[in-house]
Parts: sequence; structure tokens; C-alpha cells
Amino acid sequence: MRTKDLITDLWNAGPNALLIVGVVNFLIGAILAFVGLVELRRFAAEIYVTNLVGIACAREISAIMTAIIMAGRTGGAYAARISTMLGNEEIDALKVFGIPISGYILLPAILSLSLMMPLLYLYGTLIGIFGGFVVSMSMMDVSPMGYWMSTVNGVELREFAFGFVKAFFFGSFIALAACRVGLMAGRSAADVGIAATRAVVIGIVGIIAMDAVFAVMANALGI
Amino acid sequence: MPQSDTLISVRDVELSFGPKIIQQNVSFDLKRGSIFAVMGGSGCGKSTLLKSMIGLLPPTTGQILVGGEDYWAQNEHRRTQINHRFGVLFQSGALWSSMTVGENVALPLEMFTTQPPDVVRKLVEVKLGLVGMEQAIDLYPSEISGGMRKRAGLARAIALDPDILFFDEPSAGLDPITSARLDDLILTLRDGLGATIVIVSHELPSLFAIADDGIFLDARTHRPIAHGSPRTLRDNSSIPEVMAFMNRSSTIPTTDETKADRHV
Repeated sequence: MRTKDLITDLWNAGPNALLIVGVVNFLIGAILAFVGLVELRRFAAEIYVTNLVGIACAREISAIMTAIIMAGRTGGAYAARISTMLGNEEIDALKVFGIPISGYILLPAILSLSLMMPLLYLYGTLIGIFGGFVVSMSMMDVSPMGYWMSTVNGVELREFAFGFVKAFFFGSFIALAACRVGLMAGRSAADVGIAATRAVVIGIVGIIAMDAVFAVMANALGI
Repeated sequence: MPQSDTLISVRDVELSFGPKIIQQNVSFDLKRGSIFAVMGGSGCGKSTLLKSMIGLLPPTTGQILVGGEDYWAQNEHRRTQINHRFGVLFQSGALWSSMTVGENVALPLEMFTTQPPDVVRKLVEVKLGLVGMEQAIDLYPSEISGGMRKRAGLARAIALDPDILFFDEPSAGLDPITSARLDDLILTLRDGLGATIVIVSHELPSLFAIADDGIFLDARTHRPIAHGSPRTLRDNSSIPEVMAFMNRSSTIPTTDETKADRHV
């Protein structure tokens, strides 16, 4: 594995994704707060919107939304890149030289997404909570410090740990699936498009299925 | 002990994709120091045969002997070692697009030699100099022309000083002058490095200019139908398909006389 390739992949899977991950998670947090406030107001329980937004983002929504964004953005790019390399005979050239594809093509991609996804999840969760905060400040009578303290008291650290672990597995799955789809692709331009689409679809469906498994496991383990 | 004159021996090889047979009964010997042409029309299986010779596609049946060793009977580790005797120029150049031209040539040297970085850099400059590409050492493949990509691919192919070079359609997509220069370069490599060369091509001027032995694959019968140098086949062959191909004729003669002359 070349350090240069790893750094490029880390950059693409991390810092380059901050804007889109931030925007989507901010909006999700804001929507959750808005819907939550409208309903909770009927029971005079508006302050619990902090728990709603915090727990939903930390435990489920940010991990899933970030993973879906990365499946569409980075997973699709990996599949397209590898299938293009296949069509250009670049993979054949590696094989003929006896240079392992796993080390030179797959490992930087898989490592990058697996390492960056948990960090993006943390970032996305904080931005999601901030989105909820912005909406709540405009719709309910609570001080910024009060909202923050309520969030800290309502959202346990284990919710973050659970989401963090899930994000790692989601990232690994997206990268592995995308690399496999790319390597199995045909060699025409149309096949590149098909591979990218397939990687995104498999990524998204797989993430949701994995999340369901995580939910059952968490329930069984009492997390 | 004197070295055997035959470097690669292809014995009764059959190539197929699932039930679809591409070529069968393919047998020929590759003499040391020769330039061997694999000829035939589009879709006859020339590149598929090349792939089976360089380790990308196992034949369905038959043997490919490299220096007396049955290539496909070896384990992957041994095949990789044998592959270090090969240099391959792919049809599109197949440069690794995320690396500069220099890095493309350097990677095999870094992977399979113990040379320090400054020596690798010098070797890369030498290899690129051989193909007239030293000025493109820091350019990416997307920044150079098709002809330059082929030359850079050739520099990468000779990075490990292979004794067998495989060229897949080296002249395809090149203008006549660049194509002629590439032919000269191939002859220079053969004479300078003492390499044995296999060329898959249907570019007749190139084949006549440089190849001294060859095989003609027929797309219709999925078998080789002629052996010999392109010039000999052009001048002496009585097989209609070969005559038509070598003389760029749009029609294949089908007289009883020519049919009777058919031989393999």
C-alpha cells in the first residue's frame, strides 16, 4: 500500500465529505426538532425535544444518514474507479506484475472509509444536535445553556459509543461491497455506470439491514 | 549447459469462455530472440491467447511451457516469479492512472528489487529515456497523448529487464509515423536487450516490417490455420482467409483449388 494513495483516500472519505454530511445532518436535526416540538407541545413536554433529537441523532439517524451519504458518494466512486481501472486494463497490469490488488487498490479504500466513517458520524451527530438547537431556539422558550444541559443529561455516552461502533461497521461494509462490485464489473463504459449504481444500492440496503440487526442485538444485550 | 532454443511452447491449447470456444488446437514454439506475431481478424481470439500466455486467463486444456515449466500447473507464487520474466504492453498502455509516468515505471522496481530510491529514480529515467519519454516523468497518464501512453507503458514493461515482451496491438490508434517509430523501438529492444517478443496485431505494415515468425488464428473455425512469418504467409500462402487478410482483400477466394491447398 502506498502512503500517498492512503492519504488521498482518507482525504476524499473524510474532509471532502464534511460539507454534505454537515448539511444533511443539520437539516435532519432541525426536522426532528420541528416535528418533535409540534407534538410534544400538546403534552407540555417541549423540553424533551432535547432527548428526542440527541438520542435519535446519536443512536440511529446520524449513523444511518452519514452512511447513506457515504454509500452514494464514496462507495459509488470506489466502484466506478475500480471498474474503470478494470476496463483500462490497469488491474490486469497489476496482476501480470504480481502486485497484489488487495494491497494497492482495495486496502487504502477500505481503511479510509472504515476509519473516517466513525469520525464523520461524530461530526454529523453534533451538527444534527446543533440543527435541533437552532430550531428549538426559535420555537420554544429555553435558554441556550438550558438546552445544552438538557441534552447532556438526556443523552448518555453509550448512545454515542453505539453509533460510533455502528458507523465503523457501516463504513467497512460500504467499502468492501463497493470494491467487490467494482472488481466484478464488466469492462465497458456502461458497466462503470452499472457498477456505481449497484454499489450504491447494495450499500444503502445493506446499511439498513445491518442497522436492523444492530437494533435487535442492542435490545438483546440491553444496550 | 546450452540454453534451449525454445523459450515458450504452447501445446494443444484450447481457450474458451464457458461453453463458447474461442480457439482450439493452438500449438507453436517461440524461439529465443524471435519476434512472433499472433495474427488474425477482429474477434478471432488473439488477445485471449495473449492473456493465457501472461497469466490472466487459464486455458481450458493444453499446456503453456515457459522455459520448460508448465506455467499453469505452477502455484500462484511460482507463476508470479515466472511473470517477472515477462514485460507486457497492453493495448491502451494500461498505465496506473493515479500515478505519474515515473511512478508507474518505479512501482515494479520498488516492489521487486532492493534498490534504494535514488537508484530507482535513475533507473526510471534510463527506462523512460529508452522510449524517449524522460520529459514526461512527472506527468500523469491523463496529461499525455495515446502514443506517449504506449511508450510509457513500454518503459514500464521493460522496468524489470524481462526476457520476453508481449505487445497487444502496439500500433492500434497510432498515426503511421508514431507506429513506424514504435516498430523501430521494438527492434531496438529485441537487439539491445536480447528480448524475445510476441506481438498481437492485425496492422499489416508493422507485421511485415518486424515479425519473423507467427501464427494465423481463424475466427470461423476457431483454430490456427497457418504458421510462418507474415511476409512468407503474404507471399506463399494459398489459404483463402490468409491470402485475403495479408493482401487486405475484402473478399475471400473460395475456389476449389484454394480449398484443396488448405493446410495447417
